[in-house]
Amino acid sequence: MLHNVKLGKNLRSVSIVGIGATPFMNTILNDTYKGLTHGELFGYAAMDAMKDAHVSPKDVQFLIHGCANPGVLEKSITPNLQVAEWVGMRGKGSFSHSEGCCTGYIGLEQAVWAVASGAYDIVLSGAADLGCGMPDGNTPAHMRTALTAEVLFPDLDSIFDRAYTRYLGGGPGMNHDDWINFYAHENNLTAEQIDEALMHQAYHFRRAAALCPRAIKRTTYDELAKEHGFETPWDYMKSPYNPKMTQYLRQSSDSCVADGAAAVIVVPTEIAHQFSDKPIEVLGVGASVLDAGIPHLEKKATAEAARQVFELTGLTADDMDLVMVNDFIGSSAFLAAEEIGYLPKGEGWKYAIDGRLAYDGDKPVNTNGGRTSYGHAFGASGMADIFEAVTQMRGEAGERQIKKTPKHTFLRGFGGAQNVRAIILESNF
Amino acid sequence: METQTIKTEEFWNREHIVEKFWNGLKDGVIYAKKCKECGEIAFPPRMACNECGCPDTEWITLSGKAELKSFVFTGALNARLELEDKGLKYVCGEVQFEEGPCYNAIIINMKKKKAREIQDKLPVKLRPVFFDMGRYTTLYFELDE
Repeated sequence: MLHNVKLGKNLRSVSIVGIGATPFMNTILNDTYKGLTHGELFGYAAMDAMKDAHVSPKDVQFLIHGCANPGVLEKSITPNLQVAEWVGMRGKGSFSHSEGCCTGYIGLEQAVWAVASGAYDIVLSGAADLGCGMPDGNTPAHMRTALTAEVLFPDLDSIFDRAYTRYLGGGPGMNHDDWINFYAHENNLTAEQIDEALMHQAYHFRRAAALCPRAIKRTTYDELAKEHGFETPWDYMKSPYNPKMTQYLRQSSDSCVADGAAAVIVVPTEIAHQFSDKPIEVLGVGASVLDAGIPHLEKKATAEAARQVFELTGLTADDMDLVMVNDFIGSSAFLAAEEIGYLPKGEGWKYAIDGRLAYDGDKPVNTNGGRTSYGHAFGASGMADIFEAVTQMRGEAGERQIKKTPKHTFLRGFGGAQNVRAIILESNF
Repeated sequence: METQTIKTEEFWNREHIVEKFWNGLKDGVIYAKKCKECGEIAFPPRMACNECGCPDTEWITLSGKAELKSFVFTGALNARLELEDKGLKYVCGEVQFEEGPCYNAIIINMKKKKAREIQDKLPVKLRPVFFDMGRYTTLYFELDE
């Protein structure tokens, strides 16, 4: 694997001036939300982002639409033109993109490039996925039914390379536990120590989600333990209520599938203050992609993408005040935070156990609760991470606001077996 | 005046890399590509070298002798359904061919008890298993004891 990519400076600096997000929900089971469609969720997030930036559809010049799996979840091939109609963008340019669970992060990267190039001044980028359901036959969009295991599980293989990886089989099987297994051996940790670290991490992420009105899982593990007659949350988390789903991951470290959307408005930094008192500059985006057949791919791609963006910005992990990690594999949260240098080498698991990654800890990670508690609407989740990062950097996160309002946030996107992005944001006010 | 036409197939006729690889497994042959510049071996075969970025590669065959460097058990979330359906006992692991390349592969005929026994003895030797999946043959491994 080559490490010779040196990122160039964009022609124009770009800032986020508007954000919008729906809650992450289950539109199949929740009667209030049942019947909402992909276009509506994308539209509500997009309209909220425009309102936040004090612009209207007539001002937006280009639209970027992300969705992890439009074929299965929407029976749609070109959803960009279908959602553009919803937000007053008829006749303007747009495109759709799909990079699995990394989609939202790449949506920001593409929007930045569209503005940095000078082609456009005001760009809307959003992502939506309704992961809990699928079209109920050949019917209008509001008619959906639960996504069945018979459809979901065979289809999940479509993220793996069809030429080789899918049919040689080891890559898909290694996907969840490869990195944590490698880490355990590298640091001589027992299965019990890893279990403790992952349970504590999930416990504290749920505490954050309980304070986040957009999160899908808001019942704390203390409350769940009491409800089921356990003395402590740890007794509950070690019980059959929280079974092992892989060798290392219990259900509490597995993502909770959800429906949702999020969106941002980006503009040139030089005019950002016309739109927002608190613009957030996108300092850079590192990128690395590795096929699932490559051993330890998540660790390698995270390190490479981080190297690129740190080199570009001249910043280090010590400059970061908040880290957001796509953790649909729960262990990724502290592993990625450690890999980029935000946590000391070999000690990330201790930080997780000691609660130092919590929103009220000294090394906050995933302050919205992450995929295991905030929920995972596939392509939309990365954009929801950006929504949370900007909210924290503006100092608007309410009860879960971290102690030091972040000057810099690092975001690690991951998904689609596997794309990685490393983004650094800086508050510019 | 008579015009001479060149058939498209004469003008553009390139090798079928993926097809050759899978047909090779059917015959018990493991194809790979070797970089003409840095010597890096690519398994499975690609067009260009991923180590140095050189476009010139040549076909080679691998012996199939390999070592298991690390492995994980699977659970409900990451089970390989095509193996579960056949009732196979397996783990997924990092395999290194004796010629150098590493790849995530499947090791079959591995019961949990045996896997736990070898966990602290890694790396251990593997041999290839050319496994008939019906319409194609794939490459798994098993312990070479």
